[in-house]
Amino acid sequence: MRIVSSLLLVAAALAYPWLVPNYYLVYAGVLTVMYAAMATSWNILGGLSGYVSLGHSAFFGLGAYGTGLLVARLGWPWPLALGVSTAGVALFAALVGVAAVRVRGASFVIVTIALVSAMNLLAQGWRSLTGGSVALQVPSPFAGLHRGQTHLLFYHLFLALLAAVLLAWWLISRSRYGSGLRAIREDEDKAESLGVPTAAYKVVAFALSALFVALAGGLYALWFGSLDPIFVFSVVFGASMVLMSLLGGRRHLLGPLLGALIVAPAGEYFLIALGETQIHLTATGVLLVLVVLFMPEGILARRWRRDHNRRAPQVLRRSDGGA
Amino acid sequence: MITTAGLRKSYGGVTAVRDATVEVLPGKINALIGPNGSGKTTFFNLVTGLIKPDSGTVHYRDTDITGRSPHRIAHLGLGRTFQLCRIFPRMTVLENMLVAVRRTRLRELLAGIGNPAEIERARGWLRRTGIEHMETAEARELSYGQQKLLELAAVLMAEPELILLDEPAGGVNPALIERLVTLIRELNAEGHTFLVVEHNMDMVMGMSDHVIVFDRGAPICAGPPRQVRSDPRVLEAYLGV
Repeated sequence: MRIVSSLLLVAAALAYPWLVPNYYLVYAGVLTVMYAAMATSWNILGGLSGYVSLGHSAFFGLGAYGTGLLVARLGWPWPLALGVSTAGVALFAALVGVAAVRVRGASFVIVTIALVSAMNLLAQGWRSLTGGSVALQVPSPFAGLHRGQTHLLFYHLFLALLAAVLLAWWLISRSRYGSGLRAIREDEDKAESLGVPTAAYKVVAFALSALFVALAGGLYALWFGSLDPIFVFSVVFGASMVLMSLLGGRRHLLGPLLGALIVAPAGEYFLIALGETQIHLTATGVLLVLVVLFMPEGILARRWRRDHNRRAPQVLRRSDGGA
Repeated sequence: MITTAGLRKSYGGVTAVRDATVEVLPGKINALIGPNGSGKTTFFNLVTGLIKPDSGTVHYRDTDITGRSPHRIAHLGLGRTFQLCRIFPRMTVLENMLVAVRRTRLRELLAGIGNPAEIERARGWLRRTGIEHMETAEARELSYGQQKLLELAAVLMAEPELILLDEPAGGVNPALIERLVTLIRELNAEGHTFLVVEHNMDMVMGMSDHVIVFDRGAPICAGPPRQVRSDPRVLEAYLGV
């Protein structure tokens, strides 16, 4: 039954662009799937190790600008630009991670905010390279397609990315490495005293998480075609990943996806209903506060715990969802 | 087994441990006692790498482990529990046990949690500590005493030679203390060395081979329980006479 319902959901996700009446809803679908992929990527670090980063949009922006610049300025083929840019960002994240994960809790959050703010300033200030606030224009790699067809194509590319990130999260959560990350989330000193090399585990999680977010950034650059530092290096953008994960349930494989399915369309709705106001930012902030205060475990955690407790004891009952 | 020389640690103007030169005897049950605030737990944290000393050295067998990270020290064969019981509350009892299994190769890291041999070994320790019936429960569902036993069982899962227990009897009922003492004696007979910080003097004097006494951050006396009990420096530290 579970397999059948899963297959139906996958089929519905694949068929979505043909089920909706116009290309605007396909565009909204691309955004939603992109957010879902990013929130799930964020959750490799935030959900498994408990380290909350508000600065993951730094990696999105770097992935976007890296890919965009290689395509627009050097004329590289887009798959190569995407791969090189993503690998570069992952390496950068590993280096930053070595320093960043030395601090915990609120200090770590502040370090990540500082990172994205620094990247924002750099991208805005280095106009000769990035175009600054004028925005960098990235030529579409699929120039023969009209805008609607491009949405259709990128919807499926982002869907493939989402599938890859979900698979990665699932594999990590079931592995001994994932068990070590969860131990870090529960009590880092205790984990260390039991022989878990916590610093190395955290750096790898940080880099892996950044890798997938950078990939999303690169795809975004190719899809959207215009990069503005204020948007791609935005703390609010990074906070959206956190909100989606918390709302859906960051201890669960599908939690960030569920969060994205609620938050991303809601954001689009606010934009249409209220125009180019900043009300959607207020709504994001209010929702984040409400979730943290009243539902810190998210929607799926409640449901999962109920089902989990109903099950008969197993050889190794797992404490996190998604297995 | 553990030898410290001139170990010192200060926090601002307060010296928590000063000039601590201590020897932990191999194969024995060593106890570390002293009044509250005498530096016992700080000494534990210095030995296990949780905090770095300002000066002095820590040797484990012939290896200088001063300032090494806790996980590296754990890999050498030192296991520890904490003063306030620390477990992974939202992981199951069995998962708590399996965290302690050492993983080094990439293939091991990516493998599923716990192979059958490891799970069986974990169950063996849970049986010995008497909490095997709780293996699928989340650790936070256990009573405080059971959590103490789980903490010890998880340490044993890492196969340490030297086990440092920080107040194992604290907040535990007398029946459980009896079980703990029996287990410590059995494990000692099997070759494990212990260093136990404890305020329960009946327990300390009853089971220890070697007692080290701390006062105001420094060791003041060490020897067999009978000798330590009658040492005037110890009486002064505890009773002020």
